[in-house]
Amino acid sequence: MSIAECGFLTYDELKEKQTLPSDARYSKGPVAVIECVQEIPCNPCEAACQFGAIHIGDPITSLPSLTAEKCVGCGVCVSRCPGLAIFVVNKSYTKDTATVSFPYEYEPVPKEGEVHKGLNRRGEPVCEGKIVKVLNPVSYDHTPVVTIEIPKQYADEVRSIERERGKGA
Amino acid sequence: MSVKMIDVLVIGAGPAGLAAAIEAAKLSASVIIADLNMKPGGQLFKQIHKFFGSSAHHSGSRGIDIGRMLLNEAEEAGVEIWLKSTVTGIFPGGKVSIEREYDDRDAELVTLHPKEVVIATGASENAIRFKNWTAPGVMGAGAAQTMVNVNHVRPGNKVVMLGSGNVGLIVSYQLMQAGCDVKALVEAAPKIGGYAVHAAKIRRAGVPILLRHTIIEAKTGQDGSVCGCVTAEVNEHFAPIPGTEETIDCDVITIAAGLKPTMDLIKLAGCELTYDALFGGYVPLHSEKMETSVRGIFVAGDSTGVEEANTALDEGRIAGISAAEGLGLISETEAADRRTEIWRRLDSLRMGPFGERRRTEKNHLIELYHESVKEQKAFA
Amino acid sequence: MSNYLDDDMIVCRCEEVTVGEIREAVRDGAKDVVGVKRRTRAGMGLCQGRTCEKMVMAIIAQELDKRTDQVGTSSARPPVRPLTFGELADAEVI
Repeated sequence: MSIAECGFLTYDELKEKQTLPSDARYSKGPVAVIECVQEIPCNPCEAACQFGAIHIGDPITSLPSLTAEKCVGCGVCVSRCPGLAIFVVNKSYTKDTATVSFPYEYEPVPKEGEVHKGLNRRGEPVCEGKIVKVLNPVSYDHTPVVTIEIPKQYADEVRSIERERGKGA
Repeated sequence: MSVKMIDVLVIGAGPAGLAAAIEAAKLSASVIIADLNMKPGGQLFKQIHKFFGSSAHHSGSRGIDIGRMLLNEAEEAGVEIWLKSTVTGIFPGGKVSIEREYDDRDAELVTLHPKEVVIATGASENAIRFKNWTAPGVMGAGAAQTMVNVNHVRPGNKVVMLGSGNVGLIVSYQLMQAGCDVKALVEAAPKIGGYAVHAAKIRRAGVPILLRHTIIEAKTGQDGSVCGCVTAEVNEHFAPIPGTEETIDCDVITIAAGLKPTMDLIKLAGCELTYDALFGGYVPLHSEKMETSVRGIFVAGDSTGVEEANTALDEGRIAGISAAEGLGLISETEAADRRTEIWRRLDSLRMGPFGERRRTEKNHLIELYHESVKEQKAFA
Repeated sequence: MSNYLDDDMIVCRCEEVTVGEIREAVRDGAKDVVGVKRRTRAGMGLCQGRTCEKMVMAIIAQELDKRTDQVGTSSARPPVRPLTFGELADAEVI
């Protein structure tokens, strides 16, 4: 089932439609993973990357492509993508753990050191992880970028954390 | 009270109207924008998400900030913005009546005599019928969005959204940001209507999207307001399949079933119309100058066919340049050059799987204009 | 669909016009939105049909087995939004 039929990407569909970083690149540290697979008119990620690692060009409906070798994993594009579709994954954080950095626009913003449930693309909890970094400078324009440390085998799965729900109830 | 003469009256202070006013005023036209709302910006100030588009459309900025930028630009260009000002009529001979409300005195009806008019009145939400659709708690997705993003009030706590176009997806996300629980999105089609990235945001937050489903009833409690939502699967003709009913516990049902262009003033001005299902209903025929079959009446934005803020901005720019051209404030060749550049940008916005049909359709409508409008009617 | 669309369901909420009344107007000879509007007042209230017109169009089209674009649209007349008599009285004659 494609994302247009279920609303979330399977890893197979993502691999088919986007070029993902190679294992060699993953071994060197954090790198952007672009989960944008539809040709929509949008290109802020291209301008966001000061290293020229993201290319869209003309027309602006082209899919972004990442030159993983130029990417330093800074995560600026994560905050700039209007679709919240870019993540930074570090598969060599420690021997057993990886980190995933994701945009998180809900209140309350998690704090470093807290433990949260890591959610996959369908919103299912798959593991627990510790928040190791929260970046929220003015230039991110209210899109905090949260980094969670998780067991390495979930690095391609975890894309958010469980939100505090029912606050209005 | 005398009839005031001005160069350009823009009706509607949304992205299309503001852009039109800015372009015309920058070419030294005297411009008034009339808008019935208390605040300018149209839908922009409800849009707290970052926009798509290119840098020419301030993409990556939030709609609310784009609204602020446009307002500043309009003020710097010398545009006069009349708020709480409802255009009630456009009359033969080119007079326009406007009901102006004030904070400190009674409302009055004033008459303007503009040389040209840009109608940028936007669109309104479609309603959908199901049992008890008129119950308190059933509302348009746009209304719910106004409540949370402008008035900072939650419409309720547990929401079922009907419609998976970009409005349904984005408003669902924003309702969650405001602290609501979105129980499900219900969509009759077999595919999600809006952008996958928007769908992914709400799926990632655990919200189910029920494709091939519809809402058949709002359950109401003792006070008559919504206390549940009955959904059912639909067949290939979108008819509910008996026996598939399920009830979702909720206190709000929001409807994101598309929009239709707001046509009353366009009709009143005598502009030739055509029916266009893709663009949401009846739309005015217009040329590549955004001029209608009535000379001096221009249109821009959702009132020419429902799209989005970026296309509205660019259409507004074209309408403003064309209005200034009509006043002799810019040469024909320069106006044509600037329009060509903006049309090129519009074409690139209308590409890809979501835009292609709109691009073809827009070009078709312009062809239809040239085929059917042999001689423009007079306005002023 | 018709199983779920009872005749007593309201379509024009401003003037409280039901599905049944619109169907009856069509059976009575109304062929388009204006015809239904004249017979039932659907679309003549505060919102001037902005909420209900598409639904009215769909019901007429279904009853007459036509396409939605074949059942017309309402005409607009000034004032397109409600005004008080006081405002009208004070205004310059247009």
